[in-house]
Amino acid sequence: MSIELITFLVMVAVFLLGCFLCKLPVSLSMVLSAVAGALVAGRGIPLRHLVEGMFSYVDTIMVIATAMIFMKVIQESGALDAVSCVIIEKFHKLPALMLCLIMIIVMFPGMITGSSTASVLSAGSIMAPVLMLMGVPMLETACILAMGGILGMIAPPTNLPAMVIGAGIDIPYSGFELPLALLTFPLAFVFVLMFGYKYVKKMDYAAVQAKLNNEPRKKFGFRVYIPLILAIVLMVLNKLVPAFSLGMPLIFLIAAAVGCFTGYKFNVLKMAKESVNSVLPVMGILMGVGMFIQIMTLTGVRGLIVTACLSLPELGRYVAMSVSMPLFGAVSSFGSASVLGVPFLLSFLAKKEIIVAAALSLIASLGDMMPPTALAGIFAAQVVGMEKYTPVLKKCLLPCLMVIIWGVLFIVFANELAPYILFT
Amino acid sequence: MTKKNYITAALSLALAVAIMVYTGMNFLAARDLPWPEQGPSVTDIKLLSDWFPGLKDTNGDTWVYVLQGQKPGGKMLVLGGTHANEVSGYMSAFTFIETAVVEEGTVYVIPYTNHSAMTHNDPGEGNLQYFTLQTKSGARTFRYGSRATNPVDQWPDPDVYVHFPSGQQLSGSETRNINRGYPGREDGNLTEKMAYGVASLIRAENIDLTFDLHEASPEYPVINATVVHQNAIDIGSEGCMNLLLQGIDMALEQSPINFHGLTHRELGDHTETLAILMETANASQGRLRGATTLNQVLGGWDDCYVVSQKLNMLYVPWDENGHPIEERCGRHLQGIYEYSQAFNNAHPDTPIVYSGVPSYAELFTNADPATLGGAHLGSFLM
Repeated sequence: MSIELITFLVMVAVFLLGCFLCKLPVSLSMVLSAVAGALVAGRGIPLRHLVEGMFSYVDTIMVIATAMIFMKVIQESGALDAVSCVIIEKFHKLPALMLCLIMIIVMFPGMITGSSTASVLSAGSIMAPVLMLMGVPMLETACILAMGGILGMIAPPTNLPAMVIGAGIDIPYSGFELPLALLTFPLAFVFVLMFGYKYVKKMDYAAVQAKLNNEPRKKFGFRVYIPLILAIVLMVLNKLVPAFSLGMPLIFLIAAAVGCFTGYKFNVLKMAKESVNSVLPVMGILMGVGMFIQIMTLTGVRGLIVTACLSLPELGRYVAMSVSMPLFGAVSSFGSASVLGVPFLLSFLAKKEIIVAAALSLIASLGDMMPPTALAGIFAAQVVGMEKYTPVLKKCLLPCLMVIIWGVLFIVFANELAPYILFT
Repeated sequence: MTKKNYITAALSLALAVAIMVYTGMNFLAARDLPWPEQGPSVTDIKLLSDWFPGLKDTNGDTWVYVLQGQKPGGKMLVLGGTHANEVSGYMSAFTFIETAVVEEGTVYVIPYTNHSAMTHNDPGEGNLQYFTLQTKSGARTFRYGSRATNPVDQWPDPDVYVHFPSGQQLSGSETRNINRGYPGREDGNLTEKMAYGVASLIRAENIDLTFDLHEASPEYPVINATVVHQNAIDIGSEGCMNLLLQGIDMALEQSPINFHGLTHRELGDHTETLAILMETANASQGRLRGATTLNQVLGGWDDCYVVSQKLNMLYVPWDENGHPIEERCGRHLQGIYEYSQAFNNAHPDTPIVYSGVPSYAELFTNADPATLGGAHLGSFLM
């Protein structure tokens, strides 16, 4: 047994022991696992590597913290209730169309920013009450948000995993739009109808109307929507006008600051503290994951895993790709795109690389549903008010399998599809 | 909060502060970079900000070594350390500065083109920070840096990087990659300013020939290759043939016209220089690599790549002998020599003539195999 394999097994064992036997938080278990891996591999306790690895996710952590503050602000200010009323009022007669529209809204921030977290925590938190008021149960609502977030981050125009995979072999991010649209939107509509249609079609509008909180709309009028509109405008400007690139954290903070003056008054400091507190465990996990991946790379465990996946014959490689990319995404979907996506793309170079890279990015995105990070699942559960996120993951198992099959089909038939969907 | 909680919290905080101070000192020390010794032809050492003052007092400003020949002639620029984790790029620049005797023309060498990238390491990659070689003057320590500008100097990255002036879109992290930032911008971010500084030097000094020295992971398709701007294709062809005749496996590629931001495309398009980029194989920056070791960085020895070779995943042959730093620097230095000879044949009135720089044979093929992996390269350094 190689030292890399022993190191990997020790890391997994310490992580599981920490989580399940010692009942430690996931983040601390990951830190202990990283330290144990380094010790077994004869690297001592490499403080520099542990701290350096922690910095891998600083940007993501800032997006999460600020998105959560934004979400709380639109809740507290009354904007959320106002939006729910408008959507249900306007579209209740066309339930299927309304569900598809809601799915596009959930996906929109991800399409613009390339982040499933941004989708779930911003548009997801706005759409969750709408869905639940229409009768979609909490669990199904969370599933719609989670899958919407994931597909939003892959849908065009902004797909960071595809950019990361493409950059690995110097493919410019151009010509990806149609393949990505075909990879994501059909699935998105299928999933939202699968989870929500049977509840929405029997919606009793009169009963729902009675539950709607119309007060913020009446009291504050148009101004209650300003933080939402501002966030959307800034996100679009961020994408369209490079010189105006504010970044997601600043956009969320600006919109949140404006939201403090457009609706109900609330204690800003208390709200901000609560928001950050609620996402502290996730931020801790990301830091632990950063250490974990750094030690995996340092000790050769990453190389062992990647080489083992690529060692399989072509059919086995499809299976390995379908399993390893989402699994590695437990560490980070962007990490999965970079570490596994690029080698897999190289192994399929006989096929049209833009379609393969787009499909690989779709499969890598499932990492955001893989514990312990499972950002899309965790935040979707949090937004709808569920205590645990595991039921969301279980319920999303079938859609996740459908995502993998859809992605693999695109790879298998990449050359046949190319004349119809590639125009570069 | 109970008393016990306060004690635990205080101890955790104290531990965190201690780790912060210890690692903070380590990260700060990485800003103190080793520089080349002055070789026999070094006549001046300038800063890049002498050509573009916008870089003055920033971590993007970098030393430019000027090697003035005894007779006038053509002008050549060698860029090392475009990517600070591509060791043979900057070690070739060090070797050139410390050994070259320039007879005709002027050679400018920048050992750390992205100075900022040399002052940190990539999170998640578990790279070395330093390595030491025995040189003529004793042990000298060198840095191993990052592919991209230090985020302390330029942060945060946008979601999507839009290249100026083409408008090409790339992943946001490429914003800090100087070899996606050319021709640069006077009022851009630090990376674009560094690129602009290099282009300003080329324009101001009328540089005829520019070399950009790189390494790539063995699974990267463009490897053991020279990429040239279309204006340099004749020189590239002649030089490449001479390299092949000497048994050096080298592919020649013309710079793609639709892939922007790289030296071989933008410096050729936006200045009068003949732009040439060379790639050699470095195991320590690949995704298929094994554990980080000194032998992997300097010797190119990596068992994972031996396995990958058997899987036909690589674009460069790989076996237990690896690709030692002497071979990688030898390829670059011999490449500079052959392409500059081809330039001299095409421009006999403005030649660039130099000697003293170790050849591929001296560095690699004629070397005692036991000394490969750093020791032999060190023997040429001052």
